[in-house]
Amino acid sequence: MSTALARRDLLAALLAATALPGLAHAATPLLPDLDRAAAARIGKAWLAGRPDIGSAALARRLLPHGRGPDALPALRRQVSEDFRRGAVFVHRGWRLSETEGALFGLLALEE
Amino acid sequence: MAFIDARTLPDASRIEADLVIIGGGLAGITLARELAGGPLKVAILESGGREIDEEIQGLYAGTAVVKAPDNPDKPFDDYPVQSRARVLGGSGMIWGGKCVPLDPADFTARAWAPHSGWPVTRPQLQPFYDRACDLLEIPRFDADNKILKDPARPPLALDPQDGFFSAPRVFTRYSGGADKTAFDRFRTDFADAPNITVYLHANVTQVRLGKDGDKVEALDVACLNGKRHTAVGRTYVLAVGGIENVRLLLASNGVRPEGIGNRHDLVGRFFQGHVTYSLDGDAETEGTAVHVSRQPSMSLYLNPGRTGAHCVVAAGLSAQARMGTGNFTATLYAVTATGAGTPTEAETRAVRQVAARVDGNRQVGDGGDGQLLGFFAMSEHFPNPDSRVTLDPSAKDPLGMPRIHLEWRYAKADWDSLERSAAGFGDALGASGQGRACWPVQRGKLLEISSASRHHMGTTRMSADPTKGVVDPDLKVHETANLYVAGSSVFPTSGIANPTLTILALVMRLADHLKRDMGVRS
Repeated sequence: MSTALARRDLLAALLAATALPGLAHAATPLLPDLDRAAAARIGKAWLAGRPDIGSAALARRLLPHGRGPDALPALRRQVSEDFRRGAVFVHRGWRLSETEGALFGLLALEE
Repeated sequence: MAFIDARTLPDASRIEADLVIIGGGLAGITLARELAGGPLKVAILESGGREIDEEIQGLYAGTAVVKAPDNPDKPFDDYPVQSRARVLGGSGMIWGGKCVPLDPADFTARAWAPHSGWPVTRPQLQPFYDRACDLLEIPRFDADNKILKDPARPPLALDPQDGFFSAPRVFTRYSGGADKTAFDRFRTDFADAPNITVYLHANVTQVRLGKDGDKVEALDVACLNGKRHTAVGRTYVLAVGGIENVRLLLASNGVRPEGIGNRHDLVGRFFQGHVTYSLDGDAETEGTAVHVSRQPSMSLYLNPGRTGAHCVVAAGLSAQARMGTGNFTATLYAVTATGAGTPTEAETRAVRQVAARVDGNRQVGDGGDGQLLGFFAMSEHFPNPDSRVTLDPSAKDPLGMPRIHLEWRYAKADWDSLERSAAGFGDALGASGQGRACWPVQRGKLLEISSASRHHMGTTRMSADPTKGVVDPDLKVHETANLYVAGSSVFPTSGIANPTLTILALVMRLADHLKRDMGVRS
């Protein structure tokens, strides 16, 4: 899988379980205006404390059942659990779940 | 019955009443209103006149400093003068009118919060909160709270397991800052009652105890024009504010060298204030902010005119217990995005986009990314015996009263509580899929970004145990038979709530007690 394709799949996963089902299966990513450079900077900040982690391991951790429509509800559950167990990633004051940090990390690795 | 300018009385006049109230602020006025038309003869002694006067305000002058770990000291000498109004109606003249009860959690003894716990509970105070709300013509803070049941203004869907909740605030028109005409009626019409007399420009400079030191015999009253009078009653209520109550008790040392009510060295200690913490963002740095992922309308939380009913997000007792923190609130407000096109703005937008998608938003807000709001935090100032008001015997006001020194102290536990609470607030938003919070503040900058409210609490704290409090649960000074204290100085803990509604509730409770104690038949 090419890096570009993998990244598009990740964005597709992020859009999969949305409030507009018609768009959920659209080919166009729902984060078309995501600033890739900004996301990569956040991802690199998350990766800075985890130099040994790779994209394949991250993808298995974040998206164990693939990048289909079921990915987003699972991510959402994981995010809630992260916040409740204190697994957080703070970026310039923004308090994000560890899962969100890892998502940015994966985006950075797949950039 | 009347308003009397004490400056116009013959020198050495003797003022007599059954009940003498020292201070014509909201506490003193509310007490008099409760007794108006009854059999007790009531006299209010108010230092000020009908309008704020610079010379009279100057009687408050003293020195003050805020001290906190990891922060440079914050000189605060103008605070005693700027934070109170010495006038008929008291600081109600400059009050914005915000009304909030203390949370049930505020009354509890919390093992992780030394010196916490009130000798009364929120349910016990609820009937008096209701009466205070009725007096101020605002909705009651009860189970039927209308603010939280307006379908047009839905609350955030915060999961109760996280312990944060939407806490309402409303505004009364009976404040000088809201409706001066209505407040003028509030602060004067009660004196039409035949049993009420209000003495203006009447400064109490000494509370005189009998020779046994256990009962007040008389008050020395001084006017700025040189007149001196005496006031005598059966019972006295001290209601001149959280700093001035201390000043008068400590300065009244003719019989007891340590002052009145101070056998256990508690008068003036445990000073607590309310402070807001917020940081504006710019092109380079984040401010204190909230991203709201899914809520279609946040009007329940926004209060653009600063006068409307609204909610804040508050930490309940379960959250406090889990985090080992005190009370905490986040007050949300609209912000204008800044720094468009900068790396900071781009990263914020990326954070919000991903959070909005993870939280399930696709249909609301600005392009499906939710809403970006600012917030200011408030965090309970824990009771601290080293945070205190003392007298400066080397400096005296024109009436010969020693001036005060306020050393407002924070402890490491206060900063820990604030930071943990801000984090917990963000965690609660995120866990509920409602949004994310940004708290970019460094500990060493907390005092710098803080803004103090005009709330002075804790300095004559209430306790059933005379070794732990200045006044008992009936607000009577433990060691003085006929002296009571009203106002927020009796609060053992300060919570977050603006104190006025609680002051009024406690005063109404005191009024009922005094009626019973002084033989008034209901």
